[in-house]
Amino acid sequence: MKFMENISMALGSLKAHKMRSILTMLGIIIGVGAVIIVVAIGQGGEAMLKSQISGSGNTVELFFQPSEEEMRVNPNIMNQPPFRQEDVRALEGIPEVKKVVTSSSQFSSVSYKEKSAEASITGINNAYLELNDLKVNKGRSFSASDFLGGRRVGLISHSTKEELFKEQSPIGQIIKIANQPVEVIGVLEKPTGLFGFSSVEVYMPIQTWRTVYGKSEFSQITLQAASADELQKAGKKAARLLNTLHNTEDSYQVVNMEEIAEGIGQVTRIMTLIIGSIAGISLFVGGIGVMNIMLVSVTERTREIGIRMALGATRGQVMTQFLIESITLTLIGGMIGILVGWGVASLVSVFAGWPSLISWQVVAGGVLFSMVIGVVFGLLPANKASKLDPIESLRYE
Amino acid sequence: MIALESISKVYTIGKENVHVLNNINLEIQQGEFVAIMGPSGSGKSTLMNMIGCLDKPSEGSYYLGGEDVSGYKDNELAKVRNQSIGFVFQQFHLLPRLTALKNVELPMIYAGMKKDERIEKAKEALRKVGLEDRMDHLPNALSGGQKQRVAIARAIVNNPKLILADEPTGALDTKTSTSIMELFNKLNEEGTTIIVVTHEPEVAEYARRTIMVRDGMIQSASMKSKGAEQ
Repeated sequence: MKFMENISMALGSLKAHKMRSILTMLGIIIGVGAVIIVVAIGQGGEAMLKSQISGSGNTVELFFQPSEEEMRVNPNIMNQPPFRQEDVRALEGIPEVKKVVTSSSQFSSVSYKEKSAEASITGINNAYLELNDLKVNKGRSFSASDFLGGRRVGLISHSTKEELFKEQSPIGQIIKIANQPVEVIGVLEKPTGLFGFSSVEVYMPIQTWRTVYGKSEFSQITLQAASADELQKAGKKAARLLNTLHNTEDSYQVVNMEEIAEGIGQVTRIMTLIIGSIAGISLFVGGIGVMNIMLVSVTERTREIGIRMALGATRGQVMTQFLIESITLTLIGGMIGILVGWGVASLVSVFAGWPSLISWQVVAGGVLFSMVIGVVFGLLPANKASKLDPIESLRYE
Repeated sequence: MIALESISKVYTIGKENVHVLNNINLEIQQGEFVAIMGPSGSGKSTLMNMIGCLDKPSEGSYYLGGEDVSGYKDNELAKVRNQSIGFVFQQFHLLPRLTALKNVELPMIYAGMKKDERIEKAKEALRKVGLEDRMDHLPNALSGGQKQRVAIARAIVNNPKLILADEPTGALDTKTSTSIMELFNKLNEEGTTIIVVTHEPEVAEYARRTIMVRDGMIQSASMKSKGAEQ
């Protein structure tokens, strides 16, 4: 018997019991839809987390953390400044390193007229803003001469502006940091995204920072490489170089943001897997519903089966007919489920500002999986139908 | 064309063996019109199922068109039913959701025929039984006699050598019965072998030969000369 005959036969008998077919499909629709939603949101979330953590990408932070062993050997180790100007020059000599971004931070109070706030005051070099995705919203950014001349100018974060200036424009105003005057030349854009909270911060050219605090060290060095692959090498080389220069064992280390992102990605994948398997259970329950209805259908249509057998249908043909019927049921349900899942996931992404990723793999998987459910849960009823005795079936009332 | 040699059918009900058919020997020639009669429980239905390849004998051999089908497997029997036998039932046994035309198409679907050819042949069969104007009706919209005509069209559509009719007029009034039997008569005259199971003597009248079955055995067979009928 032709395949198309089976399909049209299956559609005919599904149409004969519209309500029943729709209700049975509903189980599959909800199941497939739920799986699609969970996977789409999970993958979207993972992608977003990764993009936010790695930022503009390919950066690695160097940090100074002597082991207890080293501290015992050299008790003064923590009193030396961790990074020096000559370290930067040495790091710039590593071929894989594209940029060396230095900064120093210090917490101190910032005041404007009678208002004051505790802020993180960071001295930066010219690569810092770009690398950390910081954009100036109002006013201007630092110029080359600001960096070279160590001019007393600063950029303030959105929160700092809120704290000290409220509605007033801060551009051109003089704020006091560690009792030294600094001119505000610009306000940074309010950060967006998942981790986007603005803290009270002020940025100054590193030279300015050094004169304000009277210190000459860096507290932070971040390296940027041309590619993610080179970043690994650059990070390792830099740590080794600094350990040699400072005559330390393993005090200089690198944090790889990619690794953190990977770790977080793993967490979201596990979450997706857990929630996805709960959604999968609902799909399983939907499959049981299909099997139940197909069993009822076989019993109801015992006489039809007998007639078909008398007219020359083989057991295989009867089995195929019922299998295709259950596959048609789950396949239609699955396709509607994919559409519903797609719709809901898109809606969630609109309202939550969260990208939802519907990959073709997920769609193909959904279609394939609903077909598999049709086969698995249709097998028992179809087998039952094919095993019927034609004589008894013809007599069945 | 049909030859049953020492056919027996034994059902086991509980611990008892019930002989539904007992050592049946029967021969039916191509082109015959045979009536099988007998009281209920006589085994005539089982005999009919046996001839129709719906049931397998416990013992004995059944030759259909020269071939021993008693050892055939289920799938082979299905093919024999499809190609060589047309069934007509008392309760018509049409599929209620299919139109008359679609019902007639069914045996050809299982024969793997192409759609255009199927529709052509189904229309031809319906024309033969005088229902060309009712092709698109569902069985519910047809009278008893019309339903039986559709069933007959379905039985003849694969050009079987044998038509088996189980109480074909049992659910019809006298006038309709007559027209249905006339239709069988016409098909018989065209060369189709017809076996009718009935308990109505008027129906058996159409047959050239009547076989009486009682207690699973052939009790008597009476032959009517063709000349006397004409």
